[in-house]
Amino acid sequence: MKTLGDFSAGYLPRIRASWPAVLLPLVAFGTLGLTASTWPELIIALALIITVVAPRESARIAPYALFAYGVYGLYLMHSLLINEANSVTYGFVHAWWRPVQSGVNWYTVGSRWNQWVLTEAVACLVAGVCLLARRQALGSGPVRRAVAQLRGTGGQPKTVPPLLLIGAIFLWEELFGQDLWFGTPWQPGFTPMMLVAILIFAAGVAAVVWLPRAAAVLAVVGIVLIGLIGVLSGVQPGYLPVGPWSGYTIGFYGAVPLGGGTDRVFAGLEGVALVAVGCVLGRRLLTWSADFELAERARALSQRVDGLTRTRSEAAETAVAELRRIERDLHDGAQARLVAVGMSLRAVEQLMGTNPEAALALVAEARETSSRALEDLRDLVRGIYPPVLADRGLAEAVRNLALDAVLDVDVNVDLPGEPPMPVAAAVYFAVAEALTNAVRHAGARTVQVGLEHAGGMLRATVADDGRGGADASRGSGLAGVERRLGTFDGILTVSSPAGGPTIVAIEVPCALSSVKISSC
Amino acid sequence: MRVVIGEDLFLLRDGLVRLLTAHGFEIAAAVGTAPELLTALTELKPDVSIVDVRMPPSHTDDGLRVAIEARRVVPGLPVLVLSQYVEQLYAAELLADRAGGVGYLLKDRVFSDAAFAQAVRDVAAGGTVLDPEVVARLMARRTRSGPLAALTPREREVLALMAEGRSNAAIAARLFITDKGVAKHAAGIFARLGLALSDDDNRRVLAVLAYLNG
Repeated sequence: MKTLGDFSAGYLPRIRASWPAVLLPLVAFGTLGLTASTWPELIIALALIITVVAPRESARIAPYALFAYGVYGLYLMHSLLINEANSVTYGFVHAWWRPVQSGVNWYTVGSRWNQWVLTEAVACLVAGVCLLARRQALGSGPVRRAVAQLRGTGGQPKTVPPLLLIGAIFLWEELFGQDLWFGTPWQPGFTPMMLVAILIFAAGVAAVVWLPRAAAVLAVVGIVLIGLIGVLSGVQPGYLPVGPWSGYTIGFYGAVPLGGGTDRVFAGLEGVALVAVGCVLGRRLLTWSADFELAERARALSQRVDGLTRTRSEAAETAVAELRRIERDLHDGAQARLVAVGMSLRAVEQLMGTNPEAALALVAEARETSSRALEDLRDLVRGIYPPVLADRGLAEAVRNLALDAVLDVDVNVDLPGEPPMPVAAAVYFAVAEALTNAVRHAGARTVQVGLEHAGGMLRATVADDGRGGADASRGSGLAGVERRLGTFDGILTVSSPAGGPTIVAIEVPCALSSVKISSC
Repeated sequence: MRVVIGEDLFLLRDGLVRLLTAHGFEIAAAVGTAPELLTALTELKPDVSIVDVRMPPSHTDDGLRVAIEARRVVPGLPVLVLSQYVEQLYAAELLADRAGGVGYLLKDRVFSDAAFAQAVRDVAAGGTVLDPEVVARLMARRTRSGPLAALTPREREVLALMAEGRSNAAIAARLFITDKGVAKHAAGIFARLGLALSDDDNRRVLAVLAYLNG
């Protein structure tokens, strides 16, 4: 059996550690004031049980309950102020009055308490938010991230600061709400101004989505300005410097009816609060815009990384396939022929004494085979790095391609320097492939090859006068070329309408080095 | 006959020296770098030279550049260029001065030593010797358009063999026709290409050039 000491040793520290737990029954008590709530006593009892049995969980729930309670209060106040309801029953005030409320005309009594109700709702809302922000353990994921963003302590992506614009628009539309939503004088039903109000909201949402940075700036400016209006109307009763109510005593300001007496005090206080909030947010704006830039850069970088990852793996695959091809060619070609030469020479050794004539024939055969081996090696090397490209660079190599082609090829080169070797090779093979296609498939008579470098971009074009209609899906040859170009962020486009002409354009960003000068 | 050899690989240089010596050539110099070669060519003015395209210092086309430069300094200096590859661009550059005495062969042609020695002599005599590989690729291209389109297929065959540096007798043997027949085809080629009567060797060179530039 537990003693009182055990209780104080066991429970008191837990309660001290999770004191917000006591707020839960308090909020539950507030539900007594809600006409909509059924069996508020049951809710209170439930809250008390949770708090005693599981104070930690209670502490976890309490801030949300406070927050929701505050939001509901503001909603009720707002419906009252825009004349949807004559009075509200909400809050501790009404809970207290509940036992005697029967027979009370809330329409007459209500306005007296409205400010208290509003205060209570705002207090609950602020308390809830503060508690949620106070400890990470108390705030769940989204709330914590939102608070972190507003405090400028990080959190990506930037969603909350721009969202404030919606709040600012809400405050402004409320100020002009009479005109916007109901028309002056009061008109029930739809008015054209409603459309304007809706459009302004839509514009705000669009700004939040597509221009988050501008939305955040606009939100801060809007909050400060409307705060100033509140301060002014607090200083001078019923004074509203803008809108159709200038000089009128009717108007809504942040859920407060603008009028004399306590209304004015509340509007003024609210204005001061809004100005303060706006100033704090304005200071944060610096952090935000830096974060916006970071976020944009991060997005661009991640896109770049995606592209690089893809082209890198493609390049690696291409390289491996290329090595496999070289290995196969060597194995089946030069290597096999050298084996044959060695075998022939071995036979020559044996035959030399006994059958010189046969030996001689074998030597001739070996010589022939070694020639073939050299031929194979030549073909192979041309496919790896063409000799003229190695000797003279891209421009001359392309000219050599033109000389080698079966068609008449005009070459126009405007290259003040030499691209890096890997780029030169990729472009060379791209042009070679395009030329081959022009010869094989296009039925062309002449081909124009252009090569130029402008604006940090190396461009090559191969245009033929053939029949066009090149397959849009492209042969595997061009696809391979495209992959190779992709490694250098290069692109290859094919324009080939039926009836021609076919134009293959290659673009690779690269810098040129000074012209290679061979010393003799 | 005095020969200068420019080849950077020792084994090949040595092999060339022995091969040419065996065929009665006198080796004036055998060098391994481009600058040395240029000096040897311009100062010794040999009867013929054998030049490798790829040589030090830059190991690109230094040898070829030296050959062209030497022929600029000493016009008509006979040069036989050897390479692991034959490129149309280089062939065109070598023949650009239209002076004759030019050869451009794959290195493997050295294997047939008698034919190679003959090619060296042809170049020394002012002829033009192009590798069959160059000629074959030209053939693929030049039949469609240009002045060569006017030639008959047989004349084109004869011209191709002329470009390889073969004599009328050799061409006759290859095509199984008489010497006289070859001479007739050659006359037809010269006429169609509009080459005036002059010394036969020069016309052969010009015909080959027409072939290249066609």
